[in-house]
Amino acid sequence: MRKSLAVLLAWLRSWFLAPWRWHVARRKPEVDPSQRRLAMSAGVAALAGGLVGLTGARRADASAPPDPGPVTGRRWGMSIDLDSCTGCNSCQIACRQENNIPTQGADAKYGAGHIEWMSMLWKEPEDELAPPELLPFPCQHCDDAPCVKVCPVGATYQDSEGIVVQVWDRCIGCRYCMVACPYERRSFNWEEPKFEGSLAQMLNPDVATRTAGIVEKCTFCSHRLQRVKEEARLEERAMRDSELQHMPACAASCPAEAITFGDLNDPESAVAKDRRSPRVFRLLEHLGTDPKVFYLRRDRGEDS
Amino acid sequence: MKAPEQTLKPRWVPLWWILVAVAMLALFFGIWCFGQQLKYGDIVTGHRNPGYGGAAWGLYIVFYVFFVGVSFAGISVSALSRLFHIEILKPATRIAELMTISALIAGSCAVFADLGRPLNGLLDLPRLARPQSPFYGTFTLVVAGYLFSSMVFFFLSARHDAAYMAEHGARPLRWLYRLWATGYRGSVAEQRRHNKSSFWLSVTILPLLVAAHSTLGFIFGIQAGRPGWFSALQAPAFVVLAGVSGTGMVILALAAARKIFALEEEIPLLTMRWLTNLMATLAMVYLYLMFVEELTSTYAAPSADRQVAHVIVSGRYAPMFWITVGCLVLTFAIPFVMRLRKVTSLPLMIAVSLLANVAALLKRFLIVVPSQTDGSFIPMEHSGYSPTIIEYGIGAGLFGILVLAVLLFGRIFPLVPSGTLLPASKTSGADSRTRAWLRFGVASGVACAALLMITVGLADSFRLFSAGELDPRIPYSPLIFAGGLMLLFCSAIAYEALPGTKSSSCVDVGQDEADLHEGTD
Repeated sequence: MRKSLAVLLAWLRSWFLAPWRWHVARRKPEVDPSQRRLAMSAGVAALAGGLVGLTGARRADASAPPDPGPVTGRRWGMSIDLDSCTGCNSCQIACRQENNIPTQGADAKYGAGHIEWMSMLWKEPEDELAPPELLPFPCQHCDDAPCVKVCPVGATYQDSEGIVVQVWDRCIGCRYCMVACPYERRSFNWEEPKFEGSLAQMLNPDVATRTAGIVEKCTFCSHRLQRVKEEARLEERAMRDSELQHMPACAASCPAEAITFGDLNDPESAVAKDRRSPRVFRLLEHLGTDPKVFYLRRDRGEDS
Repeated sequence: MKAPEQTLKPRWVPLWWILVAVAMLALFFGIWCFGQQLKYGDIVTGHRNPGYGGAAWGLYIVFYVFFVGVSFAGISVSALSRLFHIEILKPATRIAELMTISALIAGSCAVFADLGRPLNGLLDLPRLARPQSPFYGTFTLVVAGYLFSSMVFFFLSARHDAAYMAEHGARPLRWLYRLWATGYRGSVAEQRRHNKSSFWLSVTILPLLVAAHSTLGFIFGIQAGRPGWFSALQAPAFVVLAGVSGTGMVILALAAARKIFALEEEIPLLTMRWLTNLMATLAMVYLYLMFVEELTSTYAAPSADRQVAHVIVSGRYAPMFWITVGCLVLTFAIPFVMRLRKVTSLPLMIAVSLLANVAALLKRFLIVVPSQTDGSFIPMEHSGYSPTIIEYGIGAGLFGILVLAVLLFGRIFPLVPSGTLLPASKTSGADSRTRAWLRFGVASGVACAALLMITVGLADSFRLFSAGELDPRIPYSPLIFAGGLMLLFCSAIAYEALPGTKSSSCVDVGQDEADLHEGTD
């Protein structure tokens, strides 16, 4: 009795004290000392400029703004070449295995309730001889994402590199993001996910399994991205576009190399080049969500 | 005027017991269903992923919107009758307020049932809620502001009867009445204070009410990603439909109270007719809004919007849609004909109120569900949404809460403001000058603290102090905002319930009475 009371109290305390601890543990963003010096000198310069302005003596060089420098932030994006895609579905399977997605879709009671991060949209052609129209369909990682706006607890947010991520443990399961997402790229855990038999031994240790009652989605394989970052850091070099191109599980498994990942801010990356292609289009652009998944239109057909 | 204790005994006791038993049964069934949902997960409901033709939001959200809508009428009837001195509405005020409180509790339970992880929601919403999400309004404005202000209103306006019941009510419950009366003696000064504070409460509550119901509309109206939802009409239409269904529920509750608690004399038919006419007018306004909505979404709308409109008007939701339209037309037509023929028929008024609420429930279903099942921009699969027994069970439980609240409360407290004279009402209870300043100081101090809490809590909920980070800088800042909202209404309690000075020599009693008849100042 006494022990269970103590456990209960500890649990309650952990809940109510948690935010304080987070604030204590929160790391300050690391500022490059040279940048700090720059900022300080800019502040001093602004102050001096103000003083100079007040005294009426005009000196143009004192109030010159500091040079912002080149854009250093990364902005991850993906391009999918529909011309290369053969519709083999390996991206879907790889995604499922990589991200510990339970395979509970076969049972009839789930109906439209199965979980899918990467889907394959499929449209039968009117002409029998033409190949079917296919569209590998991951989360579009919108820059102005409706799901991020509506989340009542901030369980989903856009990280500094543009990926729309979901904090599994913070989700309360209100499903607002699901009804807000125009791409329908969010799945709900309608029940406790089951990994039976050998499936339980195939779980990826890098990705947490989810519980019942939370919403989950594609993360652009953040854990694999992290691995690439760590490797580059250990070898003390910058990340290479070649190792990023096929970083996500879907891209890695694509035999036709239709899926490409990379930094949109790096003009030399494969994704940025694809983005400049005349064939490029994005889904539901009229909604203004600004997605970061670029599709390259099929080029076969009458034109070629 | 009948003495209150007579009204507390139900006229036909078996009916009361039967109704209580049915409501309890519904409530327990609802709780059992909720237990099943907790145990097996949301797989036991009919909800599924919207992209695959299902609906992630279904009956729970329908019931949530419905019950918050019902709560509309309660507080607005009572606030309007105080603001504009509509004497004919006075007998309905307490039942209406009771309706508001119980409906808001039922509505909150509906949201709770909808959450995938209810316990986490209960702990995380006060800690992390973001005002950028329309759900913030649900949690703070509706639950904290609206529910709490209704409770304050209810508490203050019933103090007079509580003071009477403390002397004359059932002996075992007198402690409760005494607690409720909080020192109220029914003096002229106290009544004057009550008039003043209830005027200001009404002035505060009416905008809050419109804001809360608009927030409800915004949950749907500002989602561009869901064809059929994205419409500026949603927020005003929610306010109007809330008026229709809420007034209907109040009429039903009044009719039930007349029947069960023998309040035919206290609740005149004229009061109910007034409410019925209000409901009919609002139903007409709503029909107009529906027409505008359907025309906009069919004439030259984007194809996805048009598809949703077609599914609703002539597709698989057509029966539901046309029943809704029929019910709303009748809700307007029957009172109109009654007015022409100059008849006032109780059964007809009850029927109209029922029709209005059927229409409100169905219309909410038509707002929430078809846009998810048939309104997807992405052509994936189509399956549809059919609620399961679990969802119906929880819905029944919510109705059980509503019925139980009226039935149980009617047994222990007069359902109609009695206006009985209290024995000690001739004493002045007026303030000395220092006491008046103290009263003003305490009330405004509480209000200032509340405003500070509201400002700080809201600003930090927006993550202004933590520079856009995920967590607010001050822990539980949404709770601080909600608490500030609650405290703001507590200033009315502080103003009224602070006891006056004992001596009655300060202000002339005659002057007080003249002020009282002048009305609110």
